[in-house]
Amino acid sequence: MATEEKYDQATQDSKLMIDHDYDGIKELDNPPPPWLMIIFYASIIWSVFYVFYYDVFGGPTQYDEYNTEMAEAIDNMPKSTFDEAHVTLLTDASSLAEGQKIYATKGCVACHGASNIGPDLTDKYWIHGNTIKDVFRTIKYGVPAKGMTPFKDQMTDKQIQEVASYVLVKLKGTNSGNTKGPQGDEY
Amino acid sequence: MEQQTFYYDNKIVRMFGGATILWGLVGVLVGLTIATQLAFPAANFNLPWLTFGRLRPLHTNAIIFAFVGNGIFTAAYYSMQRLLKTRMYSDFLGRFHFWGWQLIIVAAAITLPLGFTEAKEYAELEWPIDIAVVIVWIAFGWNMLGTIAIRRTRHIYVAIWFYIATFITIAVLYLVNNLSLPVSLWKSYSVYAGVQDGLVQWWYGHNAVAFFLTTPMLGLMYYFLPKAANRPVYSYKLSIIHFWALIFLYIWAGPHHLLYQALPGWAQSMGVVFSVMLLMPSWGGMVNGLLTLRGAWDRVRDSAVLKFFVVGVTAYGMSTFEGPLLSLKSVNAISHFTDWTIAHVHIGGMGWNGFMIFGMIYWLWPRIFNTKLKSEKLANAHFWIGTLGIIFYAVPLYWAAITQALMWKEFTPEGFLAYPNFMETVTQILPMYYLRIVGGSLYVTGFILFVYNVMATARSGKLIADEEASAPALEKMSKKRLPGETPHRWVERRWVPFTIWAFVAIIIGSIIEIVPMLMVKSNVPTISSVTPYTPLELAGRDIYVREGCYTCHSQQIRPFRSETERYGEYSKAGEFVYDHPYQWGSRRMGPDLAREGVKGGKIYKSNAWHYNHMLRPQDVNPESVMPAYPWLISDQLDMDIIPAKIRAMQALGVPYPKGYDQKAIADVKAQANGIAADLKNNNIDVKSDREIIALISYLQRLGTDIFKETAKK
Repeated sequence: MATEEKYDQATQDSKLMIDHDYDGIKELDNPPPPWLMIIFYASIIWSVFYVFYYDVFGGPTQYDEYNTEMAEAIDNMPKSTFDEAHVTLLTDASSLAEGQKIYATKGCVACHGASNIGPDLTDKYWIHGNTIKDVFRTIKYGVPAKGMTPFKDQMTDKQIQEVASYVLVKLKGTNSGNTKGPQGDEY
Repeated sequence: MEQQTFYYDNKIVRMFGGATILWGLVGVLVGLTIATQLAFPAANFNLPWLTFGRLRPLHTNAIIFAFVGNGIFTAAYYSMQRLLKTRMYSDFLGRFHFWGWQLIIVAAAITLPLGFTEAKEYAELEWPIDIAVVIVWIAFGWNMLGTIAIRRTRHIYVAIWFYIATFITIAVLYLVNNLSLPVSLWKSYSVYAGVQDGLVQWWYGHNAVAFFLTTPMLGLMYYFLPKAANRPVYSYKLSIIHFWALIFLYIWAGPHHLLYQALPGWAQSMGVVFSVMLLMPSWGGMVNGLLTLRGAWDRVRDSAVLKFFVVGVTAYGMSTFEGPLLSLKSVNAISHFTDWTIAHVHIGGMGWNGFMIFGMIYWLWPRIFNTKLKSEKLANAHFWIGTLGIIFYAVPLYWAAITQALMWKEFTPEGFLAYPNFMETVTQILPMYYLRIVGGSLYVTGFILFVYNVMATARSGKLIADEEASAPALEKMSKKRLPGETPHRWVERRWVPFTIWAFVAIIIGSIIEIVPMLMVKSNVPTISSVTPYTPLELAGRDIYVREGCYTCHSQQIRPFRSETERYGEYSKAGEFVYDHPYQWGSRRMGPDLAREGVKGGKIYKSNAWHYNHMLRPQDVNPESVMPAYPWLISDQLDMDIIPAKIRAMQALGVPYPKGYDQKAIADVKAQANGIAADLKNNNIDVKSDREIIALISYLQRLGTDIFKETAKK
């Protein structure tokens, strides 16, 4: 069967528009598909409801949503069992190994290593003190004025304790860090 | 009726078609280059004019205005003459349009890599080129409407409705969005600031997609698809409904680019609901195209042209389904700032725009050159390679987008971001970027086959520069509506009212959204501690603009826990009132910078860090994909222009004290010396008159103003 005949059979319901001929292009007077019109009208009705809900009757704004999200998050957060006033130096191998991992992966080495951005942590000189409490505080709250990032939003107190212990037990005195030379007081 | 003989101008069709092919190849090659740069930063070659931030606007502008632009002109100049049974109104205007447009493209290709930019997406071109665009666009419209006026057919066909809507809407959009105050020949400031600039920009940006990449393409489809298939258009009624619904609704949808950002809620809602209502009017075009093929599907198997059209129209349906989906706030919360948007536009650009243009030229070239297509086999090969290219481009990016969005949003049970280091979320998706390069390479390969095939076709024939045709003259007829004539049929034979109605349809949404944003103060609540940039910071901001930092860094923290934990306090409309132009960005290849300068903030970095990072990003962060900017350290800051910049800002309403332009340079030097001294303390020796100092001062200012007040209290 020729294409044209098949076509005529398939579309016998549609009529050609008599006076529609544009450079040989004809048009049929088929109605738009009903499903298309139904979804179109539905989308208009949905839109009216949407605008009334959010913008007329005071549905939650994006800031309401944010406050809800934050309140839920705080409720679900575990509480820390110690702070910088009560932190102790860890010396067990597994804690130090954990600390070493943190040192390598949380960005410490990027500034305190060969890039010479931050002070050398492997010599005997310390700018902000070298007790576990000092180092813990420096990591937790940072020294923003000098570029040291506060890590309180990136590590738990436990993790800060581990990496501070690693710095004090393993790194200090190895002289293997950067080449900035002594900064701060000798301990 | 007297039969008149006249000649179609095929030469202008060949000129625009040739330009389409040439610039299309350039556009996809630049695209492949920047895709490579995103995966391998070494491909930026440490050269200012080859960095991603400058080349990305070149890619988007080349594809939109050079490739698709010339493509739609090819379609319009060929189809209008035949649909209206006349030669174009003016050969001169046609040539003026052609050469003017090509000169604009060349000017763009030179100025964008040089860093001359207004830094608003797809509206980057600086003001002298903007003026040229307006003049050339008016020449095009004049020629088009003139041709309609001298037609020999009674009624105007649906393809031409779409061309008319294209002309008037782009004219309005381009003029309003590009209003800027020149400071020098190649530098200007947008007259709008902050959230207002953002809204105007996306009213423009979204409707550049609507009225440059969509309506003229539908015009193309309505002529070339029924012609190539030799089938009647499925539904005249559907054409009417989807045409008017599409142009009326589209113009409102722009705010969906600013969901969950510092844009008033009512404007966001407009962006959401009008995008959702757009779905079926968009699909009207796809359905009318695909159902026109009823009875011709067996020919699709053999014809490369029809294959390109089928996949092109289907890609249109896919991306217009995805558009409303991405406009739902809950989906947008995940998709925005990720590669999802990039994948989405490439389904539209490579599939809909690209394939419709390929199909048109494969059909057109043999006809105007009076020959056969050199190789149908090669065209089919192009089709399959191109289709594979789109799949290999888009699928990895969807994967990358969802992966990265989930990583940004994931929290540990302890309540910390699971991936606090932004870099991790980039490193994770790099394999997808390698695959994207494969997809892009396939698409380029197909394109090269296309170039060869159409060039060989042209060589095997001879251009029929003036093609003879004849039609009866158009008899005068009453302007009044005839008995039994439907209102729409009536307006179809009167192009002036038709054009006015189309204008009314597109201006309603424009006015309702933009005028209140500019006029009603409550839309931009003021924050008293927000003050103008110092002149050094302003100069630094202009460097940020010049280098296209906004192509990878946003300055807009949305009110999500995952963003305020990572970047700090969410952004507020009142913080951006002196930002001419706004720099909120649309994609986070790197972290958001809205609170970059907040000391003790989430992402604060020292001056020394910024210096080292700009000089060699990979030294600071070995996996970084950021280009290096060594020239910022060697190049001196242009001081002479600073007073003029201050005066321009004052003219735009930025409250610098009277006569401040004369004192600005002294302030620049004082602030720059401070930063240089701080760098010196950190063992970095750099002169205080270098560009890097200005850029650092700007970065250190970002997001800090709202904290000044709390500090005082």
